[in-house]
Amino acid sequence: MKTRVSTYTATLLKRRWLSKKTFEITLSRPPTFEFKPGQRINLSADEHERDYSIISAPAESEIALCIRKVPGGMLSTLLSNAAIGTSLSFNGPYGYFTYHPSPRSAAFIATGTGIAPFCSMARSGISGYTLLHGVSLPEELYYAFLFQQSAKNYVACLSEPTTTRAAGGLDFSARGAKRQGREVPQSLRVEPGAKHPVWKTQPKKLPADSFQGKVTQYLAQHLESKAYDFYLCGRREMIREVTLLIDERFAGSLVYTELFY
Amino acid sequence: MKIYTGTGDKGKTSLFSGERVLKNNARIDAYGDIDELNSILGALAADLSGEKELIEELRQIQAVLMQLSAWLATSPDSALIESLAEISTERITFLENAIDRLQKDLPVLQSFILPAGHTTAAWAHVARTVCRRSERKVVPLLSSSLKGKAAEQYRNLFVFLNRLSDYLFVLARHCNHIQGVPEKLWKACGDFQI
Repeated sequence: MKTRVSTYTATLLKRRWLSKKTFEITLSRPPTFEFKPGQRINLSADEHERDYSIISAPAESEIALCIRKVPGGMLSTLLSNAAIGTSLSFNGPYGYFTYHPSPRSAAFIATGTGIAPFCSMARSGISGYTLLHGVSLPEELYYAFLFQQSAKNYVACLSEPTTTRAAGGLDFSARGAKRQGREVPQSLRVEPGAKHPVWKTQPKKLPADSFQGKVTQYLAQHLESKAYDFYLCGRREMIREVTLLIDERFAGSLVYTELFY
Repeated sequence: MKIYTGTGDKGKTSLFSGERVLKNNARIDAYGDIDELNSILGALAADLSGEKELIEELRQIQAVLMQLSAWLATSPDSALIESLAEISTERITFLENAIDRLQKDLPVLQSFILPAGHTTAAWAHVARTVCRRSERKVVPLLSSSLKGKAAEQYRNLFVFLNRLSDYLFVLARHCNHIQGVPEKLWKACGDFQI
């Protein structure tokens, strides 16, 4: 495989929390570092390392990552606390989970922070796709604002029951949350240096096509049965269930996968 | 880190280019044989203790076999072939030079030899036969519809396998030679004591 992998040093420029569990960090971009939307880097600090998909576009001057703080996770915990200005090293880019134009419709399927590579694709101008984003709670619909603009069909699949009021229009802004009687989590804070407040990437309302259930249920019951180019990013259980479902229900489709460990 | 996904539990698997195919698909069959060949080369290298140059040569061949597998796992009409490392004609020259080097010290053969001798020679013969089988599996994939870069790469891929089979034959003889094990010449029916 053609890979031009090198090691780089970057500075932590910003961090902002997207939900109770997940935050976004922005790193300075080394001038010689190039990547394609959908690729990942191997980030390391204090002898801990982990792969993260890039959420920013190649044309942007900084590198952004979306990170879930894993209980007991050494690197994600470290990154959630690291001081702005901390120097980090990474190598990459890695992976072949990139977008390929095709006569078939593209269907992006993500669970949780598996949305990350699709974020880079959308920020790079890729549009007209179907996106199913499976999350537990509406607050985990990261970057919904972005996808609402570029997807042809954006379906938020909520695996935990959502109240009728929320499903009809959950306001994600702090003011809206207060009005609706919800507490804004302390972790939904904007840290110094962050350019955009949280609401710029979170949906002010649930997407019109929000679905109560898992992405597999939506695929099995609602997505038109035809051949697609499927792009799957998430945990192994989702990859397995969706791939087997594609074999059954979407014959002739191509399947590209990026597995989250 | 778990390595299993379970996406192949019902008999299908994915090509690098995204197609879901049965596990007995011609492409899977072809790169499966190359995987087998590569593993045998690993076993051979493990037995070649002290032969640093040969071990390094085998490591390089193993790396090229991984490249071949990537090409076989990719549908030739997929845009993804652009992300594959090219199989250059230099890889073939590399094998030809190695064959010439190994053959220099070997006696000229007057008859067939039995695939036998030292363990390392026996492994090289096993590798040679699996390499020939890989060639046979690749033949159906050399369709006339291959065009441009794919056609060129499949040509190089096939020549590489053909040359590798020859290399492995000479390597088997070389292994017996350096271990001081005499070659067993084939005499038609001559070895049978009936």
